[in-house]
Amino acid sequence: MIKKIFKRLGLKDKLLGLIVPFLLLIIWQGAVTKHLFSELLVVPPLTLLNTLIELAKSGDLSSNILASLNRVLIGFLIGASGGFILGIAMGLSPIINRTLSPLVKALQQVPEFAWMPVIILLFGIDEFAKNIFIAIGAFYPMLFNTYLGVSGVPDKYHELAQVYQYKSHRYLAKVILPSALPSIITGIRLSLGLSWVFVVGAEFFGTEAGVGFMMISGRQLFQIDVVMAGLVVIGTIGFLLNYVLQLLEKKLSGGRVAFDGGIA
Amino acid sequence: MDIIVAKDVRKKFKLKHGQQVKNNGIISNEIDALGGFDLNIKKGEFLVLVGPSGSGKSVFLDIVGGLSAPTSGVVYLDNKPVDAPSEKTGYVFQQYALFPWRTALSNIEFGLESRGVVKEERIKIARELLSLFGLSDFEDRYPYQLSGGMQQRVAIARALATKPEVLLMDEPFAALDAQTREILQNELIRIWEGTDTTVIFVTHSIDEAVFLADRVAVVTARPGKIKEIIEIDLPRPRNGDIRSSSEFAANRHKVWGALKAEVNKAQQEWKLAPGFTD
Ligand SMILES: Nc1ncnc2c1ncn2[C@@H]1O[C@H](COP(=O)(O)OP(=O)(O)OP(=O)(O)O)[C@@H](O)[C@H]1O
Ligand SMILES: [Mg+2]
Repeated sequence: MIKKIFKRLGLKDKLLGLIVPFLLLIIWQGAVTKHLFSELLVVPPLTLLNTLIELAKSGDLSSNILASLNRVLIGFLIGASGGFILGIAMGLSPIINRTLSPLVKALQQVPEFAWMPVIILLFGIDEFAKNIFIAIGAFYPMLFNTYLGVSGVPDKYHELAQVYQYKSHRYLAKVILPSALPSIITGIRLSLGLSWVFVVGAEFFGTEAGVGFMMISGRQLFQIDVVMAGLVVIGTIGFLLNYVLQLLEKKLSGGRVAFDGGIA
Repeated sequence: MDIIVAKDVRKKFKLKHGQQVKNNGIISNEIDALGGFDLNIKKGEFLVLVGPSGSGKSVFLDIVGGLSAPTSGVVYLDNKPVDAPSEKTGYVFQQYALFPWRTALSNIEFGLESRGVVKEERIKIARELLSLFGLSDFEDRYPYQLSGGMQQRVAIARALATKPEVLLMDEPFAALDAQTREILQNELIRIWEGTDTTVIFVTHSIDEAVFLADRVAVVTARPGKIKEIIEIDLPRPRNGDIRSSSEFAANRHKVWGALKAEVNKAQQEWKLAPGFTD
């Protein structure tokens, strides 16, 4: 299974994807060594690597990453479970769906950062406020994907459940959720990805730990290398989160495509 | 003894706003799917329904299976009116038969799980059925790893696992190629002849109907009702050789004779329908 996934993802394509970043790094390093830019403003990759190593050695890096991940996790859990539960309710009940979908669609139009003043007014700028900020971002992708998965359960599955007297929690656990699972995993992936994007935003508003905090304090101390190290860390962790969940997604939906319209 | 008795079963569907249909020449926005369906089915009998497309065969099966309620009339199962899916009934569909997240073995267990059969017992039953269909080596395969014929064998095995008194089969072999289809017919009849299960089987293939059935019930063009019931006087146990016999051809001829007019009528109706292009 895993092997198949690797094959499908295509190792070749991945190497192709590395060429451009690698060239950029070389040009970047070259440009700074040749004094095209001031080394104070544009940190060359090798210095950046050095900074990362220093940050890692001092323990700053891991403590800040952990602080951010912790925040992401709490915010994600709040937002995604809300989206998950509402998505199931709206997917199963057309009445709930019709009642709530206009409101949900309207609220979704509010840009994430427009919530910030509201949250600050209501909750201040402490930890909980940040969790709520992340939760709002995590909520929608989970809601929509869960809804899509649940409302898309084929009629025949519902009929089979009826034929064999599957009801309430058993129906949910044995038919609805497994059928909706690939879509739910997509929801988790997108939702977690957005949580990670928003955590850094949340940390720009007063905090004493986190990757966002590390960048803000780097800026205040004019440590441009630390600011850039923060960017690298954010990008890398976001990429890894997405990658792992994408693998999971492919694995869980493996083979299902073949069913649409087929015999099974 | 009759295990299933359908008395004057009618079913209307409300169409969506703006949609219309002709019922016996009268324009309406309700469609008459079944128009007085009467049918008695004997215990242990293999009854095959044939009829033009859209004549309400699937609707009738859904009513017998308790998945859908008749607009009027009653279906009795063991003398009790059907008003919900019964534990005595199994169902095999043409499509989406198997759950892609379950292995062959676990798909067969599905019907037993909700009825509180313990794990070891479920596995024992499922393995017996897999071996009956020659699929013992495939118990841990997922549906996408099985051929269409194997998938449908598993679907039938799942329906048999709960030892239903009544097995409803709605064009179970329609999506299979001709050879696989004959093989499955042979397997089904071999397995069924060793049980006392009552089967209602829907098909568009007259050969399939004649080969499997004790009786073939011909359904009229919509609104569906029973036009004629033909006893198939072929000896049992049956095997594939019987298909080339002259008795087989004679039965085939009888069924086609009853069906032909209805198929033509249904086709005529489509041609008259607005938007129909030949
Ligand atoms: N849920 C529904 N809503 C509206 N009309 C329906 C519905 N289900 C069935 N019908 C109509 O009832 C009629 C009978 O349908 P049914 O599926 O039972 O036909 P069938 O005999 O099984 O046909 P086929 O051989 O093509 O499977 C058809 O005209 C169909 O359009
Ligand atoms: Mg049908």
